[in-house]
Amino acid sequence: MANLQFKALRKSFGDVEILHGIDLEIQDGEFVVFVGPSGCGKSTLLRCIAGLEEISEGELFIGGQQVNEVPPSKRGIAMVFQSYALYPHMTVAENMAFGLKLAGHSKTEIAAAVQRAAQILQIESLLDRRPKALSGGQRQRVAIGRAIVRKPGVFLFDEPLSNLDAGLRVQMRVELARLHADLRTTMIYVTHDQVEAMTLANRIVVINQGRIEQVGAPLELYHRPANRFVAGFMGSPKMNFLPCTLVSATERLATVRLKDGTPVTVSADARGLGDGAALTLGIRPEHLLAGSEAGEGRARTAVRVAEHLGDTVFLYVESPGSPESLTVKALPENRLGMGDPAHLSFPPEHGYLFGPDDRTLPRTS
Amino acid sequence: MAIVIDKSQRWRVFAAHLFLIVLCALVIFPLLMVISISLRPGNFATGKLIPETISLEHWRFALGIPSMGPDGQMIKPDLPVLLWLWNSVKVATISATVALFLSTTAAYAFARMKFAGKKAALLGLMLMQMFPTVLALIAIHAIFSRIGHVFPLFGVDSHWALVLAYSGGIALHIWTIKGFYETIPGEIEEAATVDGATPWQAFWRVLLPMSLPILMVIFLLAFIGAIIEYPQASVLLRSQDKLTMAAGMKQFLYAQKYLWGDFAAAAILSGLPISIVFILAQRWMISGLTSGANKG
Repeated sequence: MANLQFKALRKSFGDVEILHGIDLEIQDGEFVVFVGPSGCGKSTLLRCIAGLEEISEGELFIGGQQVNEVPPSKRGIAMVFQSYALYPHMTVAENMAFGLKLAGHSKTEIAAAVQRAAQILQIESLLDRRPKALSGGQRQRVAIGRAIVRKPGVFLFDEPLSNLDAGLRVQMRVELARLHADLRTTMIYVTHDQVEAMTLANRIVVINQGRIEQVGAPLELYHRPANRFVAGFMGSPKMNFLPCTLVSATERLATVRLKDGTPVTVSADARGLGDGAALTLGIRPEHLLAGSEAGEGRARTAVRVAEHLGDTVFLYVESPGSPESLTVKALPENRLGMGDPAHLSFPPEHGYLFGPDDRTLPRTS
Repeated sequence: MAIVIDKSQRWRVFAAHLFLIVLCALVIFPLLMVISISLRPGNFATGKLIPETISLEHWRFALGIPSMGPDGQMIKPDLPVLLWLWNSVKVATISATVALFLSTTAAYAFARMKFAGKKAALLGLMLMQMFPTVLALIAIHAIFSRIGHVFPLFGVDSHWALVLAYSGGIALHIWTIKGFYETIPGEIEEAATVDGATPWQAFWRVLLPMSLPILMVIFLLAFIGAIIEYPQASVLLRSQDKLTMAAGMKQFLYAQKYLWGDFAAAAILSGLPISIVFILAQRWMISGLTSGANKG
């Protein structure tokens, strides 16, 4: 059991700075997910916690103790690697026992710990096998078992599910959630998959280019993204962005004009900005409406591609006044097909406005 | 998995087989020649491949079994061939073991650790092994005769001197093992580190067991190299009972008299330890030791 604290943590490789000052606190027992695009530094941050990379500047505390100079084995952490990194020449039981054996625990103690972990992960029947004879999902369980056996204060997961196929990934995701509920140990989980982040996390840390963009509960990030990056990253399919200019702003509503001249109202407070300011309108595919009838405040475009999935229809439509595509998640009753004219409407309460600095303007609904 | 083959391919398959059979015959022929010579009475290098009469005189000589001389007395062979063979095996085993120990640890440092001058050292190793040892023969002799003044154990005419000299020739082994280590994902050792292993434990208990096949190959190469090495052995060893097989066998070939038959029998004997070590090592040269560590 341990909490973590990052104080202006920086990491550079040679002249290249990867992490530009990370400040963060993680409570004991929390499930925190680091999420971000590949190359954003989330794995490096995890490796800094594990002690596999030296911290260039700043401080890291685990359980109240400053651990900058503490070797990995003394940090009270256990790590599950993306590639599982099992010891191929040892059986499953030996793999899980390796850490305890090095620490000098007695044979009966080790056997009991391995048995208990195997029970939790339902791999008791595999204990005598070599990793070679296991499937991907089983290897993943062994890797997690090896971590559990050590009874760490903090579990570190480095994209543990990215090598599994889609079905198994969902199953393991559910099991990880259950494991956290059972063990109540602090878990830090790195992924680039925002669905994993949304489903597993107590709190999500969105990282981009070595900086924390936003920290918050999954739904908070979904509903109240701090900036355009977070808004685009959380949610699937990703949010649509349209360039626009500010026409007028009141306390509750802002009116903007799209590139093709369509006026759109958004429940946002844009009063600080002057008329004509260049803004970005954001709206999620599930909130953007496409119909065949024209009307006030509707932008006329055309459908490029329609994908019928049974329960939903994804329409890819031309963005008004720009060559990009917008995604519309529509009901299956929507009859629009490829090449049909589409009239888009933007419900004010679901719109987001991003200022010239890409920060989200305060929302009023 | 049989791929369907076009009929026109058949003559190509036939030609390929013919080529391979001829190649095998070419490779095996010298070996058959040597066996034939060793079983032929008298010391003749030329003659029929299948001898008309079989004589074991050369084998008696090589194995040190006394034979009846022309005057009716039993004559003990004058050269200790079996002792040479034993010397060879001893020197080769010890030097291959030492070479293996030095090259695995050095290769680990080169493959996994960061230190100043790594590139230069690697390049230096590569350059050094490009020059044949023969070029340094005089220096080697001078060095060991000098060492002998201080540590007689490692002086000229000692097997330990030869072991030391052979153990130095590991530049190529280091490169080979380093290349193998680099194919093993570093995450496995990192996992061991998180599990509490020291660098030495991660090396000894995780990396080395996975590297068994390449270690066996290196041991075998070092062993064969030591068995067949002639120049250094001939310079560093003097007394007849210290000689290795390769150095000793020169004594069969005098300017006036070429003992081809005895030479052939001894040559076959010297091939035995290599074959035995190869058969033993093969058990460990299993491929796919690292499979299962990763996603798969």
